[in-house]
Amino acid sequence: MRGVRSTLVWLAAIVAASALAFWLGGYATDVYRKMLIWVALALSYNFLFGIVGQVAFSHFAFAGVGAYGVVILAHKLGMPFGAALVLALALCALLAFIVALPSTRLEGFYLALATLAFSQLVIVVISEGGDLTGGTGGIANYRLPSVFGYAIRGPWYTVLLVLLVAFTLWTLRRLDYSAFGRACRAIRDNAVAAAAMGVDVRRVKVQAFTLTSTLAGLAGIAYAYIDNVINPPVFGLENIFLLLFMVIVGGSGSHVGAIVGAVFLYLAPFVLEPIVGHGFLLVFGVLVVLTILFRPSGLAGLLNRRTARGTT
Amino acid sequence: MSDNPLIAVGGLTKHFGGLTAVEDLGLDLFPGEILALIGPNGAGKTTTFNLIAGVFAPSAGSIMFGGARIDGLPVHRIASLGLMRTFQHNMPFAGMSLTDNILVGCHTRCDSRPLDILLGRRRVRDQEAAARRRAAELISFLGLQDRIDDHVSTLSFGEGRLLELARALAGQPRVILLDEPAAGLTQPEMARLGAAIRDIAARGIAVLLIEHDMHFLFPLAHRIVVLNFGRKIAEGEPDGIARDPEVIEAYLGEAVGGMAARQGHA
Repeated sequence: MRGVRSTLVWLAAIVAASALAFWLGGYATDVYRKMLIWVALALSYNFLFGIVGQVAFSHFAFAGVGAYGVVILAHKLGMPFGAALVLALALCALLAFIVALPSTRLEGFYLALATLAFSQLVIVVISEGGDLTGGTGGIANYRLPSVFGYAIRGPWYTVLLVLLVAFTLWTLRRLDYSAFGRACRAIRDNAVAAAAMGVDVRRVKVQAFTLTSTLAGLAGIAYAYIDNVINPPVFGLENIFLLLFMVIVGGSGSHVGAIVGAVFLYLAPFVLEPIVGHGFLLVFGVLVVLTILFRPSGLAGLLNRRTARGTT
Repeated sequence: MSDNPLIAVGGLTKHFGGLTAVEDLGLDLFPGEILALIGPNGAGKTTTFNLIAGVFAPSAGSIMFGGARIDGLPVHRIASLGLMRTFQHNMPFAGMSLTDNILVGCHTRCDSRPLDILLGRRRVRDQEAAARRRAAELISFLGLQDRIDDHVSTLSFGEGRLLELARALAGQPRVILLDEPAAGLTQPEMARLGAAIRDIAARGIAVLLIEHDMHFLFPLAHRIVVLNFGRKIAEGEPDGIARDPEVIEAYLGEAVGGMAARQGHA
């Protein structure tokens, strides 16, 4: 019964989020699509930061590896799209594994430092990649090829992005509510005790980092076909802090929190910018500090309290 | 008790720089036995625990577990062989519920490979169901039913001690190391803990514990090993230990020694 009910909830949510795509106009569609990408990225970043407790700054770099990977392979080198997609994801997984292997061995901020360096390296490579990466101007003038004669265009591409978010959420939730997820949370809370319970701390950290970074790569690939343009600044360090804010304000460690945080902070500037201009960044900063000080469970914590009170 | 020791420690030595924390220590631990390590502060008890559990590699000597050498193996490998421990200070997973804390203890009994989990393999589901049953059993065994889905931050100190024990038992260990399990407990909690430890040993699990409370320990332990400055100064049944002049001088003191001896007879 519970299985049937949860399947229905998933279906209803996917249908509702997809239906929106057919109703929105051109500009709103663009906003909606980018919001979906932010939600997908916030979900996987939340798993790494909020559930495994790993501070990494490479999430957008891996999105960039995915985006540039697929576009270069499919459109510059003329590889079949399916092969380019798989290869771009494999590249993300391989690079994530290589970055995680030495840095998770060390305690504390080494992962942060290693991922910071990796992010800068990715930006340098795609900015200086000459004709292959298009330099600072990036790559444009490519289109998502038809797969088996079907061209996914217009609102149907938005539906694909909804499915990307659904797939990301499903994957991460399934991992979370398992021995793997419990091991991740145990490492976050007390790595010494986790090891004493038989958790191979290093292995789990490497697995989690590789998995979440590959999901970031997948979101990057989906991003590449929204405007059919990719360029270096999107994958730089500025966005990673907004992603971190989304996860913290939404409620670190909570899947619902990651979604709510991403939607809230992505849409907030559209409301705030006409009023306070670029001052909205200051508003974000204050919001993050207030969350950390007064409500570490974030917006998700507020929602939980509401529902808990409702049931009693 | 069977003839073969489950844990056999021989010539165990650990130096930290110029300091010798444990020197040439030998001890055997049999299935179903409650063996206590006692001695003054700094005698090397917790270091011995950490050596057996794999936190440190010994400077010399060997540690056998079920006939295979485990010294030098990482902590998680030793745990997965069936050796679990509790800590001197409560170390709960503070962001998780009581049940989830205990389920982490089942880690070695569950397939935690991400791919198997995502594919929803039958083995994963069966092991998860078994782990949840075991966690529920342990919760009622230790009398924590009322706290089942509570956040561990709301547990009392004594309940936290019991959680440490439940988490260590969840992995169905063959050996359990308890580092001062009774420290800070009230009398009723201590009685509950003592009964639980007897019950654990009766199931054939080997129990090695460090304890400072001799009133708690003497009626409970089958055998006692006394350490002083990293060396074993005595070993035997509680009665004999309580009367050993060297032990009395080094650790127990006259009054406690006499009291413990009387309690041992009772």
